[in-house]
Amino acid sequence: MSEAAAIVRPNRTWVRLRYATPKIFATLFALLLAAVWIGPLALMVITSIKPNSEFLNGPFAWPIAPTLEPYRKVWQGLNFGVLMENSLIYAAAGSALAVGLALVPAFALSRFEPPGKRYIFALLLTGLMLPQQTVLIPLYDILRWLHLFDTRIGLILVHGVYGMPSQILILRGFMTTIPRDIEKAAQIEGATDFQIFTKVILPLAIPGIVVGYTLNFIAIWKEFVFALVFLNSEAIFPVTVGMLKLNSDRYISAFNLPSAGLVISQIPIAILFILAYRRISSGNFVGSVKG
Amino acid sequence: MANVSLVDIEKRFGAHVVIPRLNLEIADGSFVVLVGPSGCGKTTTLNMIAGLEAITAGQLLIGGRDVTDMPPKDRDIAMVFQSYALFPHLSVFENIAFGMRIRRLAKSEIDAQVQSVADRLRIGSLLERLPKALSGGQRQRVALARALVRRPGVFLMDEPLSNLDAKLRIEARSFLAKMHHEIGVTTVYVTHDQSEAMTMGDTIVVMKDGVVQQAASPLVVYNMPANTFVAGFIGSPAMNFLELSLAGSTLVDPDNGFSIPIPDRLRGALNGYGKPKVVLGVRPEGLRPAARAADASGMPQLTIDVAQHLGHETLLDASSGPHRVVARVAASDDSRIGERRPFVFDQDHMHLFDQDSGANLAARAGL
Repeated sequence: MSEAAAIVRPNRTWVRLRYATPKIFATLFALLLAAVWIGPLALMVITSIKPNSEFLNGPFAWPIAPTLEPYRKVWQGLNFGVLMENSLIYAAAGSALAVGLALVPAFALSRFEPPGKRYIFALLLTGLMLPQQTVLIPLYDILRWLHLFDTRIGLILVHGVYGMPSQILILRGFMTTIPRDIEKAAQIEGATDFQIFTKVILPLAIPGIVVGYTLNFIAIWKEFVFALVFLNSEAIFPVTVGMLKLNSDRYISAFNLPSAGLVISQIPIAILFILAYRRISSGNFVGSVKG
Repeated sequence: MANVSLVDIEKRFGAHVVIPRLNLEIADGSFVVLVGPSGCGKTTTLNMIAGLEAITAGQLLIGGRDVTDMPPKDRDIAMVFQSYALFPHLSVFENIAFGMRIRRLAKSEIDAQVQSVADRLRIGSLLERLPKALSGGQRQRVALARALVRRPGVFLMDEPLSNLDAKLRIEARSFLAKMHHEIGVTTVYVTHDQSEAMTMGDTIVVMKDGVVQQAASPLVVYNMPANTFVAGFIGSPAMNFLELSLAGSTLVDPDNGFSIPIPDRLRGALNGYGKPKVVLGVRPEGLRPAARAADASGMPQLTIDVAQHLGHETLLDASSGPHRVVARVAASDDSRIGERRPFVFDQDHMHLFDQDSGANLAARAGL
């Protein structure tokens, strides 16, 4: 028997299957994770377009007569437009304040060696780890002292200051990745530290700023406790606090209305994420250094 | 244009001394290349001249002005970085105009100067592009344009060609040399590539561990290296070193059949030397196998280990006992691997170095 004839060819199907099996399992696992993630969201959307009676008959059933009535009721009943406007103001202004306050310290911590840098970091991390509840009473006192209790400005200030430590860490991390040679080149060209910050670092830190701003925006949009404690007037409630009304009657279980409210409240976040994503994923330093 | 004087310059990072004491005079209009292996202090020296690194002690003069503690913008310098360091968010035009905008020059003047320098560097058609839309060579020209447009007294270049491919590097090398010839600005150029140093510099400053080993013209550095470090660093392949015993006017290693007469011109260098051994240095082109028909008596016999045929020449790796050499021979050489052949040591290419300090004995004796 020749040597070539002695070579046993394995069955190609089995070989392919053997190599494909791990991929199949990985795909199935990913699909399972996706289902766990998307399931509640899908249930929320489905519930929001059902009459409540239909939901009570079968919470997981596909809607028989889809309706947008829950949306109309929530929008009109809760004055949802005002709630959304308030949330938008708190999230937009609070995040802008947090990022604005964080920019200069982040630049300083990324580029210089200020005395006690380690302690500044420890302080920032401590600020991040403190539970929200522990600062409620001091902040309440401060807001009353400043006559800012139950005001939009008061809540914006709280969100801005509370968000600042995380923004410093995010922006510092990002600024550290900006090549040092770019800064040195600006220095050689005669730029002062302030000009380097405004003309070089800031434009290059835009993706970092967008990331930080977006994360902070989402955090404020979802925030409940500060708004509940520091606001009393319905006219300045954000969505999270305003929607409490739907839960005020413990004897009626209307699930479709909160679902519709939740769907509406997620739309700005989705839009923001889509807008921010393109900016975040654009390679900002390409071409600045090396080939 | 300006001359640069480094007087007793010292640089420390904490307790670590990077540059112990550096004295260097860079003449107005010259092209000086700082060369050495990684960590030798060449980039630190350049950064100190630029003002990007603080000088621990000593004095730095540019154009006769003491600029030791001045910020970079007041030193009358421009710099091209190894990484180009272009501003990625700005167009080519704005990159070149950056310094002028900082100095608030008139728009018409900025436009005219940018256009002029861009045309000179053949990047006039790229002015609207962002750096990411440029090739490596174009980026390098933009970095050069940004430096040139300032009309500096001193040009500093930190390995500006090291990110280019081999072909582009050779082009850029001659471009830079031509540019220097045209504008004549004092240039301090850092590289670790000895061939770049040899081809570009009027003066080569070879550094090791923060200490200048030799500062001279390329040919002097090549033909009269100050010590074994310089001799080994400059030249490719590197100079061959053989540690041999002194026996009168002959260098010997009886165990391995070496008996090489010391050239007359080097005998004076050994006056008062007093050590039993010396290091013989011979460049690869100073070694060749003796013709097969020649009388080979008294010649060292070496075994051919490797023959590298490069087309226009052949490099022979040969050895005998602990001695290993590389010889640059004609492409037609017919040596075979494993063959034992007598080698001729060219008397004109021989150097003698101190066995302990590595100093070139002829240079030390002023021969």
